[in-house]
Amino acid sequence: MRDLLRSGTGGGFVPPSSSDFELPPIFGDNAYTTKPIFLVFFSVILISVFFILASRKAAVVPSKLQFAGESVYGFVRNELAKDVIGHDFLRFVPYLFTLFTFILVNNVFGIVPLLQFPTMSRISFPYVLALTVYLVFHYVGIRKQGALKYFKEIMFMPGVPKAAYILITPLEILTFFVVRPLTLALRLFANMFAGHLLLLVFILGGEHLLQGVIGLKLISPFAFAVGIVLTFFEFMVQVLQAYIFTLLAALYIAGALADEH
Amino acid sequence: MAKREENAMWSIFGYLLSGLLFWGGIGYGLDQWLNQGYFTLLGLLVGISGAIYLVWLRFGRE
Amino acid sequence: MEGTLNLVGFGLAAIGPGIATGLIFAAYINGVARQPEARSVLQPIAFLGFALAEALALFGLVLAFVL
Repeated sequence: MRDLLRSGTGGGFVPPSSSDFELPPIFGDNAYTTKPIFLVFFSVILISVFFILASRKAAVVPSKLQFAGESVYGFVRNELAKDVIGHDFLRFVPYLFTLFTFILVNNVFGIVPLLQFPTMSRISFPYVLALTVYLVFHYVGIRKQGALKYFKEIMFMPGVPKAAYILITPLEILTFFVVRPLTLALRLFANMFAGHLLLLVFILGGEHLLQGVIGLKLISPFAFAVGIVLTFFEFMVQVLQAYIFTLLAALYIAGALADEH
Repeated sequence: MAKREENAMWSIFGYLLSGLLFWGGIGYGLDQWLNQGYFTLLGLLVGISGAIYLVWLRFGRE
Repeated sequence: MEGTLNLVGFGLAAIGPGIATGLIFAAYINGVARQPEARSVLQPIAFLGFALAEALALFGLVLAFVL
């Protein structure tokens, strides 16, 4: 049994780990020319070119490209901004739209052949996105209600016995100012990281089994098959995470705009 | 209108997490300071009950 | 491979709350689908049940790091 399990090349299987995400720089010797950075710039170019082309020749009877662009825009505008924020939603549509398309394209890079690296599995990118959401919704809340009233509303909810504030107020502050933006970033990061790791396990595992004895070679197609099924599953997760990130950003903005929670 | 539920679920998650972190952290600090062993557990219990109380206030009342 | 046994324990401990959350929201969706006007009655109950189940999961997470 041990002989069967050992692979033909002699080397043991190295399970994929977090070091698989630390890619070397493509050229030069600095930390700024790695693959994720190029993917971010590429995604910006891709999104810009697509939507400029889609909206350039706007017609009443839309072309296919225009229809595709408009349905994405309409989805963000109606499903996310209008439903959640309510009236006065229009000035947040550009921000939410940028957020959604940026995260979506960068996530889907994880399963596009040749690129195959979800940019958001590097923690810094979700952190920055969550930071922008954080700044936007606090700024909007302070602007709308005044700083004092806004913070008072967060810290002291009405209709609670005075003694309970000792227990509750720290939790409200911590939730609003630390946990919310942190979980916003970490949810996106963890989903992309774990998804990419999962794909690596099955694809690299299948490839490793292929180098084993004949019995293991027969198992290897199953590993690849599971890897392909998981790729489609991963696509679903990537779209869903882009949606959830934008949805929660819109909900936080709506919460900051509303007079009472 | 499933969006309200989505918001509520992540809010509940955030409240519970921050309750555990805050009061559990205080308990842990007391443990380190006084060389005891039970303040962490006490803090975690206080934090979780405070957070559930807060969830009840926010979402459980009619 | 490296890591502590605590994390394996947390993984096992998270199964229960995972199933519980699934059951709670399955029942909630069922109830709302059958009787949409019962939503305002069901919602607080579902959220409190979710909070209790989630509390256990997070308790396990914190204890996995503390112990």
